[in-house]
Formats: sequence, structure tokens, C-alpha cells
Amino acid sequence: MVKAEDTFLIQNKCGLHARAATVLAQLAQQFDAQITLYQDDKEAPGDSVLALLMLESSHGKQLRVCCEGPDAQPALTAIGELIAQKFHEDE
Amino acid sequence: MKLSSIINKDCTKAAVLFNSKKRALEYISELASEHLPKHNAHEILDAFLTREKLGSTGIGKGIAIPHGRIAGIDTIFAILVTNQSGIDFDAIDNRPVDILLAMLVPEGNNAEHLKTLAAIADKLNNKEFCKQLRHAKDDDALYQLIALQD
Repeated sequence: MVKAEDTFLIQNKCGLHARAATVLAQLAQQFDAQITLYQDDKEAPGDSVLALLMLESSHGKQLRVCCEGPDAQPALTAIGELIAQKFHEDE
Repeated sequence: MKLSSIINKDCTKAAVLFNSKKRALEYISELASEHLPKHNAHEILDAFLTREKLGSTGIGKGIAIPHGRIAGIDTIFAILVTNQSGIDFDAIDNRPVDILLAMLVPEGNNAEHLKTLAAIADKLNNKEFCKQLRHAKDDDALYQLIALQD
């Protein structure tokens, strides 16, 4: 099983709020991979908005993203880009 | 955070019967305006619709968290509505929505907003709790579930 993981810094001002979490979950659902996000002692499946909101990832937090499955690498790359692009938000 | 700290006793409405997202949001806006004298229903509805235009707040599993930022309120004000049947909400999983937890949020304070969202998500992620919400037969029963959950 292909695995890929990396840690990303939450850069947008609002953090992983409802809209950002929804965009991330929609992206995660596109890949054939099991995606799990970790922050501090909490973890969330990438395709669940509710679980992502429970991470309470604010600006400046480090989010570890683990992908497992055939699409692990492209999924990790896409999620990393989304976070780096501040979830397409202005600030 | 306790849900009862953001939802007043008369802000839970059980088993209502709306057949569209727009009508449900209009109703919630009217109810909110009765509690927020500085804001009229039209202004509140605008805040909800502005947010929905950016992407649906239907977050899956039959749940929506419509919200909007409005100036002039100090704390989060929320309304919980359960609908008798599912409403098309363009939700992330395309499932119709029958639990709406609507929030009006003060301007700014992102950290506090995230904290509230996390607390709400924690409650709504509990399948058994959602089942109980769906089965609440009247407004008071729905409120009691909120109060007990805390």
C-alpha cells in the first residue's frame, strides 16, 4: 500500500473554518486514498467536515496529513497545495 | 462550550415542515430578528445567503450549519431547527438536510469562532445525539436534548 505524509502550516487567517473544511473534504473525496489529518492529539478523516472542524486548526497550527492508497501521493500534493493557497481565501 | 450557552430556550424548533432551503433560512431569519432587535429579518437573511453563495453549509449526514457574520452583536446567537423531511441543500454528500444549526457570528474573533465550530461539530458528530434531535417531538423536547447534552 502506497503511503505519503507531510506536515503543513495553516496560513489563512480564519484557519480550518466551515468553508475551508468543506473545500478540503471535497478535495479529499476525489482521491482513491484513505486520508487522515492530525493536529496535536486529535485526528480526523479527510472527507468528514464535522471531524475536520473538531480539529480546531487555527492560523499558525501544524497539520499532519497522512494518505494511504493508490492515490496517496497526488492526494498529499493536492491537499498541501490547497493549504498553501490558503484554501483560496484572500488572507 | 455548552450548546445551551448559544441557543436560547425559545430558539429550538422541532419537526417544522419547510420544503426549500430558502424558506427555511427565511424562517430562521425571522425568528432571529425577534431576538436581535437591532437587526431586521431581511438583513439577517442576507448574511446567511451571502455565506451560502460562497459554498453550501450543508456539511453532510443531513446536517447544515448556515451562518453569517453581522455587526453589532457581542456573542454568537444560534437557532436549532429540525425539519420533518429532508430539504435539498446542495450538501457536500448531496444528502437532503433535516438538521439546521444556524448561527449569527460577531465580526472578527476567528479563534473564538473556530472553538465554537469545534464544539458544535463534536456534538453533531454523535450519531445517537442526531437521532434524538430528529425524533424530538416538540420545541421543548428539542431544547431539553440540548440542555442534557451539556
